[in-house]
Amino acid sequence: MERILERDSFMKAVLPALAVVALAFTMVVIAYGMESVAPGVHDAFHDFRHTIGMPCH
Amino acid sequence: MMSFLKECVLKGALAGVVWGWIAMVLNSFTGIFVFEGGFTHDLVTFSVAGAVFGVVVSGFLFVGGRFVPFKKTLPRAVFVSVFIWLVLRAGGVLLSSMEPSRYHVLTPETLQGLFLAVALGTLLGIFRKDGQQRCGC
Repeated sequence: MERILERDSFMKAVLPALAVVALAFTMVVIAYGMESVAPGVHDAFHDFRHTIGMPCH
Repeated sequence: MMSFLKECVLKGALAGVVWGWIAMVLNSFTGIFVFEGGFTHDLVTFSVAGAVFGVVVSGFLFVGGRFVPFKKTLPRAVFVSVFIWLVLRAGGVLLSSMEPSRYHVLTPETLQGLFLAVALGTLLGIFRKDGQQRCGC
């Protein structure tokens, strides 16, 4: 019973936080066009980056 | 977990995609930045990036919404959205100061970005308004 409760609280608290952190990292990669992390991301999201006011070349 | 999936991922992604389209239309009207990509390419990238931004803002609202000094969902969502945009923008200023020839700070684009951050928060607040009681954020 205790284990089930522990697993349940993990699913409720930690997993959403981890998912948000992972997606936040993706957002940073897109926002700054970090080619070293994802090759091609700079060119792919170039127009988007300028539109939302992020500095670019 | 299910409420997280429903409230954050689905509604956040939906609001984000709509926001991405609004960003495209707004920039086309203002002409602040002349698009370099084609319409189809931009439609896809703005949708994908909008969905990512929407889910992230929604996720932060879900995880840390209770710490935001507003009670209603709409002002909370706007606060979180603008806060995240300001953090990203501050990082951009830092990059610009380190590599001024590579990263240019442009005021019209910045103002448009700030307006769009408010728009994303507003959209998210509208999309999530009905679910605030269930998810507790």
